[in-house]
Amino acid sequence: MHYGGGGGSYKRSVATEASERIERMASASAVVIFSMSSCCMCHAVKRLFCSMGVNPTVYEIDQDPNAKDLEKALKKIAQAAAQSQSQSESAQFPSSSSSSSGVPLVFIGGKLVGAMDSVMASHISGALVPLLKEAGALWL
Amino acid sequence: MDINNKDLHKKGALYSSSAVRPTAATLDMFPSWPLRFQHLTSTRISSIGEEESTDSGSAVNTASPSSYSDHRLRRPPPPQMDAGISADGSQPPKQIPEKRRGPGSNSDKVLDAKTMRRLAQNREAARKSRLRKKAYVQQLESSRIRLSQLEQDLLRARSQGLFLGGVGVTGANISSGGAIFDMEYARWLDDDHRHMSELRAALQAHLSDSDLRVIADGYIAHYDEIFRLKGVAAKTDVFHLITGMWASPAERCFLWMGGFRPSDLIKMLIAQLDPLTEQQIMGIYGLQQSSQQAEEALTQGLEQLQQSLIDTIANSSIDDSMHHMALALGKLANLEGFVRQADNLRQQMLHQLRRILTVRQAARCFLVIGEYYGRLRALSSLWASRPRDQAMMGDENSCQTSTDLQMAQQQQQQSSRSHFSNF
Repeated sequence: MHYGGGGGSYKRSVATEASERIERMASASAVVIFSMSSCCMCHAVKRLFCSMGVNPTVYEIDQDPNAKDLEKALKKIAQAAAQSQSQSESAQFPSSSSSSSGVPLVFIGGKLVGAMDSVMASHISGALVPLLKEAGALWL
Repeated sequence: MDINNKDLHKKGALYSSSAVRPTAATLDMFPSWPLRFQHLTSTRISSIGEEESTDSGSAVNTASPSSYSDHRLRRPPPPQMDAGISADGSQPPKQIPEKRRGPGSNSDKVLDAKTMRRLAQNREAARKSRLRKKAYVQQLESSRIRLSQLEQDLLRARSQGLFLGGVGVTGANISSGGAIFDMEYARWLDDDHRHMSELRAALQAHLSDSDLRVIADGYIAHYDEIFRLKGVAAKTDVFHLITGMWASPAERCFLWMGGFRPSDLIKMLIAQLDPLTEQQIMGIYGLQQSSQQAEEALTQGLEQLQQSLIDTIANSSIDDSMHHMALALGKLANLEGFVRQADNLRQQMLHQLRRILTVRQAARCFLVIGEYYGRLRALSSLWASRPRDQAMMGDENSCQTSTDLQMAQQQQQQSSRSHFSNF
């Protein structure tokens, strides 16, 4: 992709750098949660995985030096995921994450699962546990 | 102008002659004179008055213009006028030639007093009528408020399934968002009742699976609709949802995060859904467990939010209070997210239930769910209308409750007794 002037390309590279970092962090462990220490919904998603016997890797992005860039990148990913979800499931389950916050965001086996609503939907439908087992986060 | 001269002539005649002309007097009484003629007559009067005796003239001078103008502006003439004119046959030669004649007296001084009294009475009458009007308007306003309160109570009573006895008037302030949701919820309850009848009829008629599927999926869509409405309401008034003011008291008692607790519903259903295959039983228990885990996670998240809010509010100092309030507001905004996730959980649970069960099982399951909440709402109404006076114990008490119960049963029109024979 061809970037514009000097300033624009700097901004773009910072953004891509952030999303690349996120990708790297997401692939590093079986279950990765991007969270903020002040966010209560992130606390809920952490409690959920713990109750299932999973030990997720948690990145508190507000404690990262590049917090703002990471947050922006996470928001973009979350919004893109919400859009594709509403398209595929014929708007049966409208995106509940109307706050369009980037956190919490969950990756399992390096692949994006989504925000709290996606995680819960996946758990209730019974799809989450096989996914966790596949990623090696859960044993029988 | 002719009229002017004629009347002036009459007035002049009154001044000059000692005889009373009652007809002229009565004519002068009627307020037919337009305002512009007013000053002419009054000036004439004053000039005429000066020719006569001094004290009467002066009295006329001072009294007539003012009283004349007063009477111009006042609409019906005081009733004393007629009585005065007709009663006093003999009037003094010097009459004040105004439109509204005083109640006939002998001297101008007394006339003046009578005029003043008339004016005072007029003022009093006007004041009283103003007060009466004010009181009437105030009564209208309070009736309007009472009417709107009654409408809200009616909505709430309807949402509780039955309109028995007294539904408590809470007098609470419902925001417009909350009021709108209450109305939509009442409509949803009517729809629910309709779906129940449809399900009941379909099961009894032993319709084909494809027909049943349409009805069962329709019920799922019916629940999707209320979750959508709740999502909208959460944006405008999350407190209304989370405190359960939209639900009946009995439902409110078991409220979890602005609605029913999914695992409780599954626990209730497990007994009612026999017979199930091995795989279905596994599925239902799995659903129960995952619901419980999700509920627990959300509850803990909400608890952390509450704790954080408490800390923020407790630590707000005087010089920093605005900042802390802003922080607290930001944290409160997260409440909407939790209510939304809770509704999301409920919705997912119902969909999964539909997936696990066969069409016929699902139809029966939804009927059970609808009847269950219907009974819970009926319980609320019965509880609200129960006799409180313990002195009235005995036959009176049980009579009333059993009548209420009969009415409740009739309302529910339950024909499938196998499920709830032990209720």
